[in-house]
Amino acid sequence: MIKISNLEKIYRTEDVETVALNKLSFEVKDGEFVAVMGPSGCGKSTLLNILGLLDDPDSGSFLFNGIEVAGFNERKRADLRKRNIGFVFQSFNLIDELTVFENVELPLIYTGVKAAERKKIVEDVLDKMVIMHRRNHYPQQLSGGQQQRVAVARAVVNNPKLILADEPTGNLDSSNGNEVMQLLTDLNEQGTTIVMVTHSEHDARYSHRIIRMLDGQTVMQDLMV
Amino acid sequence: MFKNYFTIALRNIKRHRSHSVINIAGLAIALAATIVIFLVLQHEYSYDTYHKNADRIYQVIKKDVSPTETGFQVGVPFPATRALRQDFPQVTFGELYKSFGSQLTVMKDPNTISSRRFIEESGVFFADPEIFSIFDVKWMAGSAAVLKEPGKLVLAKSIAEKYFGTWQSAMDGYLKIDNNILVQVAGIIEDVPSNSDFPFAVIPSYKTFESNQQYFNYGEQINDWGLSTSDHQVYALLPENMKAASIDANLETFSRKYYRMESATKTSHFLQPLKNIHFDTRLENNGDHISNKTSLNTLALIGVLIVLMACINFINLSTALAAKRGKEVGIRKVMGSSKTQLRTQVLFETGLIVLFAGMTAVLLAWLALPYLRYIADIQQQLTLINTGSILFLVITLVVTTILAGFYPSLILSSFQPVEAIKNKINNTRVGGLSLRRVLVVLQFAFSQLLIIATIIAVGQMNFIRTADIGFDKEAVLLLQGNNDSTSLARQAAFKSDLLKLPAVKSVSFTMDPPSSLNSWTTNFAFNNNTEDLPFSLYLKTGDEHYAGTFGMNLLAGRFYTTADSARKVVINETLMQKVGIKEPSEAIGKTIRIGAGKFREIVGVVRDFKNNSLRDGIQPTAIISYPAFYSLTAIKLKSNNLGKSGEAIQQVWDKHYPEYAAETRFLDESINEFYQQEERLSRLYKVYATLAIIISCLGLYGLVSFMAVQKNKEVGIRKVLGASVGSIVYLFSKEFTVLILIAFALAAPAGWYLMNNWLQNFTYRIDIGAWVFILAVLASVIIAWLTVGYKAISAATANPVKSLKSE
Ligand SMILES: Nc1ncnc2c1ncn2[C@@H]1O[C@H](COP(=O)(O)OP(=O)(O)OP(=O)(O)O)[C@@H](O)[C@H]1O
Ligand SMILES: [Mg+2]
Repeated sequence: MIKISNLEKIYRTEDVETVALNKLSFEVKDGEFVAVMGPSGCGKSTLLNILGLLDDPDSGSFLFNGIEVAGFNERKRADLRKRNIGFVFQSFNLIDELTVFENVELPLIYTGVKAAERKKIVEDVLDKMVIMHRRNHYPQQLSGGQQQRVAVARAVVNNPKLILADEPTGNLDSSNGNEVMQLLTDLNEQGTTIVMVTHSEHDARYSHRIIRMLDGQTVMQDLMV
Repeated sequence: MFKNYFTIALRNIKRHRSHSVINIAGLAIALAATIVIFLVLQHEYSYDTYHKNADRIYQVIKKDVSPTETGFQVGVPFPATRALRQDFPQVTFGELYKSFGSQLTVMKDPNTISSRRFIEESGVFFADPEIFSIFDVKWMAGSAAVLKEPGKLVLAKSIAEKYFGTWQSAMDGYLKIDNNILVQVAGIIEDVPSNSDFPFAVIPSYKTFESNQQYFNYGEQINDWGLSTSDHQVYALLPENMKAASIDANLETFSRKYYRMESATKTSHFLQPLKNIHFDTRLENNGDHISNKTSLNTLALIGVLIVLMACINFINLSTALAAKRGKEVGIRKVMGSSKTQLRTQVLFETGLIVLFAGMTAVLLAWLALPYLRYIADIQQQLTLINTGSILFLVITLVVTTILAGFYPSLILSSFQPVEAIKNKINNTRVGGLSLRRVLVVLQFAFSQLLIIATIIAVGQMNFIRTADIGFDKEAVLLLQGNNDSTSLARQAAFKSDLLKLPAVKSVSFTMDPPSSLNSWTTNFAFNNNTEDLPFSLYLKTGDEHYAGTFGMNLLAGRFYTTADSARKVVINETLMQKVGIKEPSEAIGKTIRIGAGKFREIVGVVRDFKNNSLRDGIQPTAIISYPAFYSLTAIKLKSNNLGKSGEAIQQVWDKHYPEYAAETRFLDESINEFYQQEERLSRLYKVYATLAIIISCLGLYGLVSFMAVQKNKEVGIRKVLGASVGSIVYLFSKEFTVLILIAFALAAPAGWYLMNNWLQNFTYRIDIGAWVFILAVLASVIIAWLTVGYKAISAATANPVKSLKSE
């Protein structure tokens, strides 16, 4: 599904150059659940943004489903992204002005699904995430765990092949965190590929494989038993 | 998709309530102002467009070129009509004779005099049938053909109803014009639309005028090509496909054929298109007012600028708000929204706000319309909703949406999703403060410009109202009568009865008060020379009490007396100087020939008085006695307070002139009327300056409240570190003060230039002092401080712990 080689990302500000990704290479197979770990500032989020086609690498190659996407323009990336990738963030990133239902509906709107069909799909997903009873609430009216369930619902509503999660449990207590991890595991078992950044060894254990990063490079890859 | 846009737009409007209110209020005020301006322009430009041949109708204008000046007249010599018809057989010519202040007596039958008398200030036109082949009127009874005969007349429906009860009963009824000319009603037309310069109301046939020459005092001169009066006008309807220019060329030949070419003044004619008649300030017209295209354009410009100001507010506030919306935009992008979709969304939201503003604006305009006549020269009630105004509103709303929404939509949609989500979008990224500063400067420059214009216009109007006009306009009552022979014969008795009233100081019979909008000019010669002087002489006529009644000041000599009034003349200082005399006393005993008359001896020189409005300079003027023209009685009262003596004067009038209705007015009031247009203009400036200030303050308030939110943390930290309230208020107002000063640097020269130009319309005008500009800049700084101050103080006095915690 994903194959990156010699990926480089350098942030340049007025006087400092930060090499966020330094000739990074690895591969993620279809149906895998991979955890990315490493100290703060080692480039995990940068990597995830590139994998999610939100950002462009400075050099190197990025094959997504066998297609070279490094160097795609914004429109092409947006197009590929909205049909293939779902996101879960540490800070949930729900739109405050929209209800639970409307937040989850959003990706469907952008992929052009008809209203009647949207309603059915969203309700299905909300059911699955056990958040249906909150469909007309606004994000601020929900607990952190509930908000993250909505965010996961929104990430999966389009049936993406790949879910990228950046510290999805970072803002949650352990029981809510476990719940979210269980959701991701379930999705993975149904065939969705997952790449998850985490600081938690506990959460990492849900995955099949851990990629450990240091200063923008992979240091090792642990295979889980 | 649109439902989603709609929901989020509505919620955004609600969520940022104060911003939305500011945006909607600002836009609504601006849009209402432009709607009103549009209605005014629409009305002015609609004059006489309803005639089906409007683009083929022309007025024959007379042009007099002398070595020193060029004059334009609507009046055409009486014999010209027949000559025109002869020489231009392919053109339809129509002629009319306009009568001011005619008295009409309603008669049951031709023999009994009734007491139903009406004075028509305007709308009385002796017209030939061709006039109505040129201009469209709707015939309810009769047809244009009835005007072929003398003694027939056509009435407009409402006038017929006023005189006879119903228009049906008016048919075949009789009217007596000015107690002399008997006419029979032979046709009724529907009332002429109000947007016409041809307010046909009472229309005797032109033949009636021709067959009653003795009442119009033209005598033999009626056949003279040298005489013309603005009351006699000729109109032309060109055949299709004929160019006015080709007629104009032939009119040159025509003029050479009929006018005496040896005279110093060369007369010729040209055709003035109907569509220009309402706007040509060189000429008089028959309607209620002439519009100045420059004023209309200024008005349009003000409308556009006011909407731009409101758009600037909108842009400023929405880009300021954009930073707050970064996260939403980022998430939408992550979810797959394209730039176009985001832009559409922003434009959609803008459109919704503009739509709300538009609806509010229509309401405001509706409330404002009844007050329109105070600022525009429009007496009719305009209709707010018509095809034109709806179209205008729709177009304006769309254009405003694009103007206001386009830039914010570009800014918002260009956010990088990763940064937007991380809330890294700060102010410097959204067009930065610098753009906003430029826009605020523009806004302030415009409102200061209007403040400057208002101060100067108001100052000039005060100056005029209190200016020395060279005679005493207070406590002079004017009674408009007639100058037919019966009326003139009764004047002496009338006067002696008037003088018996205790309130009356003196009485003078005249044609015209010293200051009036009428002018009577003639050629003249000085000191027994045979050659005419190369400039026109202005005439005022009055009896021997003229100078006393109007409080004029004699510089030398005396006023003429009853005994010598026919042979003597009094001149003004300007005429004296123009003929090259330095000392008033030297002028006494010299002679003047007025027109083709005999030489008269100068017996006195009066101090200059304003002949016309203060727009014009003082003209070389002679005062002569000319009893045949005395239709006006001027009564100097002992006090300005008329009280009971008004009734007494009325009784004296009724005793001597039972068959005439008395028409009275005070001289000072009629002089003030000269400046109606300027008065309106200065009122207009006041209104629009106020609107501009309100709009820019709304914008400023919005920006400062945004700044207050943004600087929340900074203010909190500063306060924790010990900053005082004052120093924090200073933090907010410092920047805006600088911006206002920059705006002033733009507005001051522009204001000086524009208003200096405007003042050139007046021969007597104020100097633009530095204080005008100081006042303008102080006013806007103070207004801005008041606006900023409130927000700044509430930010400065907020609890710092709260603001720090929320970060
Ligand atoms: N927009 C940016 N401009 C400049 N430097 C950046 C930018 N974004 C990230 N960096 C730098 O790139 C490096 C990698 O950042 P990144 O956010 O990927 O780290 P991370 O591994 O996700 O850290 P954390 O675990 O704290 O989230 C850091 O040194 C960071 O300072
Ligand atoms: Mg990170």
